[in-house]
Amino acid sequence: MNNWKERGIEKIFLLSTIISSSITLLILGFMAYMALPLLRGGLFRLLTEPWMPQQGFYGIYPMIVGTSVISLLSLLIAFPVSLGCSFLISSIGPKSLSAVFRRIVQMMTGIPTVIYGFVGIFLLVPLIREFFQGGSGMCILTAALMLGVLISPTMILFFCDSFDRVPRSYIDAADSLGANRLQTLLYVILPSAREGIVIGVLLAFGRAMGDTLVSLMIAGNSIAEPKSILDSVRTLTAHIALVIAADYESPEFRSIFACGLVLYLFITIVILAVRRLAFRKSEERA
Amino acid sequence: MKQAGERLTIWYSWTCGLILTAAVFSILVYLLFKGAGAFHPKLIFGDVSPLKAVLLQQRVFDGLFPAVVGTLMLVSLSVSIALPIGFATGIYLAEYADFRIKNAFNLIFDILAGIPSIVVGLFGFALAVFLHKHYSSSIQPCLLISGLALAFLVLPYIIRTTQIALESLSPEIRLTALALGATKLQNLVYVLLPQSLTGMISGVILAIGRCAEDTAVIMLTGVVVAAGVPKSVFAPYEALPFYIYYISSQYTTPEELMNGYGAALLLLLLCLFLFALAFVIKKRLSYLAFYRP
Amino acid sequence: MRKQYVVAALAVIFSLFVLTADCISGELEAFGGQKGTLKISGGTAHIPVMKEAAQRIMSAFPDIQISIAAGGSGVGIKQVGEGLVNIGNTGRKPTDDEIARYQLKVHQWALDGVGVVVNPKNRVKALTKAQVMDIFAGRIDNWKSVGGENRKINLYTRDEASGTREVFWEKALDKGTISPSANVVVSNGAMKSAVAQDSYGIGYVSVGHIDSTVAPVALDGVIPTIKTVKEGKYKIARGLYSNTKGEPTGLTRAFINYLYSREGRKIVEKGGFIPFP
Repeated sequence: MNNWKERGIEKIFLLSTIISSSITLLILGFMAYMALPLLRGGLFRLLTEPWMPQQGFYGIYPMIVGTSVISLLSLLIAFPVSLGCSFLISSIGPKSLSAVFRRIVQMMTGIPTVIYGFVGIFLLVPLIREFFQGGSGMCILTAALMLGVLISPTMILFFCDSFDRVPRSYIDAADSLGANRLQTLLYVILPSAREGIVIGVLLAFGRAMGDTLVSLMIAGNSIAEPKSILDSVRTLTAHIALVIAADYESPEFRSIFACGLVLYLFITIVILAVRRLAFRKSEERA
Repeated sequence: MKQAGERLTIWYSWTCGLILTAAVFSILVYLLFKGAGAFHPKLIFGDVSPLKAVLLQQRVFDGLFPAVVGTLMLVSLSVSIALPIGFATGIYLAEYADFRIKNAFNLIFDILAGIPSIVVGLFGFALAVFLHKHYSSSIQPCLLISGLALAFLVLPYIIRTTQIALESLSPEIRLTALALGATKLQNLVYVLLPQSLTGMISGVILAIGRCAEDTAVIMLTGVVVAAGVPKSVFAPYEALPFYIYYISSQYTTPEELMNGYGAALLLLLLCLFLFALAFVIKKRLSYLAFYRP
Repeated sequence: MRKQYVVAALAVIFSLFVLTADCISGELEAFGGQKGTLKISGGTAHIPVMKEAAQRIMSAFPDIQISIAAGGSGVGIKQVGEGLVNIGNTGRKPTDDEIARYQLKVHQWALDGVGVVVNPKNRVKALTKAQVMDIFAGRIDNWKSVGGENRKINLYTRDEASGTREVFWEKALDKGTISPSANVVVSNGAMKSAVAQDSYGIGYVSVGHIDSTVAPVALDGVIPTIKTVKEGKYKIARGLYSNTKGEPTGLTRAFINYLYSREGRKIVEKGGFIPFP
């Protein structure tokens, strides 16, 4: 009787797991299904043509460029700052200050994305416009700056976590050899936490790629390929939000599912890379 | 030479800390400065008395009340959908799954966690359209569809925190009840779950915060500009983050912009409060767990 | 004798009051006894009028729920055609193809125009049609070429679902190209705030939406105001339409009639448009 109940509960748990995992696969399925007519017309065309629906071009190439450039730039801006901050929190800062700073960073992860976009429009855009004396202020640079602030807390916390995970024995060894805190950090912790840092960067990159609101509100949304960082640009995510309104049968509408597909596959690649690295690291450890 | 490098690193780290703190504080102070002026009952209730508005006796037209109610209903709906499934899945992965299966599922849920919110919203929208065409023409983007889509979004959070909370219990705790003759299920219900409650609850609160602040998903699945307090889950609704987004690009009068600042401040305070709550609960419960009187 | 005239005059005035009072409540009376939800979506230019009308109706009849969504004219047609909303607003007349495909009934309740706007600080206040075409195509890219400062022109345009964009493209640009590097905004309100915040921006917006935060630009000598649209002098004119799938019934019918009623026309005027017919 009890055994029967046990088995039953286990089956229920299994069922929930299957339901949850099937959602992931369903999402992929829907994206592929809806984008199919467009994909059939030529995958290469889709990925390299410009977006000019009135002339019959339904390519998402400008958007792919937009997403890549904004994400990479934001990573470029956020990585050094995050690394420095994580140094500060884990080694260089005095104990009490580090704890306070860590709280601040943790609190930052709770700030809604729409707030970053909102403040960006009214504070950052006019600033950039005045500073560069040209352009509308809604461009790659502004979006990348805001996005950099957005992804920094995640990177910082991740880095600090990796630093904390370095085995105690390494740190003790360095200590006994006479290294001070900073030297331990630079020559012992950092090399061991190398994979953790790469994983953190990859995850932040995925986050930056998937963000919708900051680029929708601040990057300008033009459909041209950007030529400079002061150009207005549209990302894959903003494109989905903008074109959702179109006719359900039209190729324009299908293009947003192609965008969704591209994003989905990109994220899968990032996650797989992260897992490989983490696996290698734990193997190394063992 | 090395000395110089080390000194440079110290100087560099402090600069980075300063830059980040300056960035976050300028955002907060700017909002506080601009939004504090709009912070009074009129922001939420418009010209209607708060009591009447809350009791739904009178409609609020130019206040945030419908948006606040919409957000609250949305959050409750999506969390109540995601909780049972998420808990069950997390428990299964932590307790019952073997290594290879666990790995496979973990990969799937990592991917689910990484999917951009707008893609989840797109899925919700496509689902609604699909059901609308093939099952019943009364299914349209509405509170229910948004709640479902948001549930998909926060499912990985709940699964992961439940799984980690259960897995990080020490072997002694796991084995004691079993050694005394309890079944796996009894062990789970009477020992393991209560012990990992803090982790699970903080996961729930994170999920609540995520639902409250998300804009991309609701934009595609049923939030509208003006709808009043939703009367059923099949109705369109308003939400706070969408209001902020909408006002930021399309305010028509300075008052509306002030309202936007007030709304932004409100949302910010709400999310920070939830975050602090999760943290406090974690601390309180772990205190209780260790120092049970 | 005098007294009789006075009494007669008073009687006329009094009865006018009574009659109009009856009329005003009569216009809303059509909603009495109705309940349920009315869903409206589509054109962003219509939203202020929709919101005002909805507010008045919902205040008088708490059983009625009206929801208003944006999205642009393309969304309006699509959603009303698919049965997702009861009324789809458009800022352009639906094409014959669309009318046939969704069996749309078109109801026009206002006359509006689409005007070029710049920031009030900009000293360029008049352009020829050729100049406008060149600016939006990207061939002219500096304000000094048209009499302004030596600064780059920041273009703002609307998304592809927009009826405002469709009308502007057809009538003002003669179907010419719009530069792909223009910033895209999603509604009339967004266009207004974008141009209002950018001293070197230029865009196009519904004439009814033009207020003191943006400056209208005269096209070939005619300033886009609601007056010049009405007189026919300003050529870039368009109607505001509410479309329904088939003949409207019940709540939908009552709402459309309300737009044509006297009170509805006042709301349309308040929105800055010309009531039609």
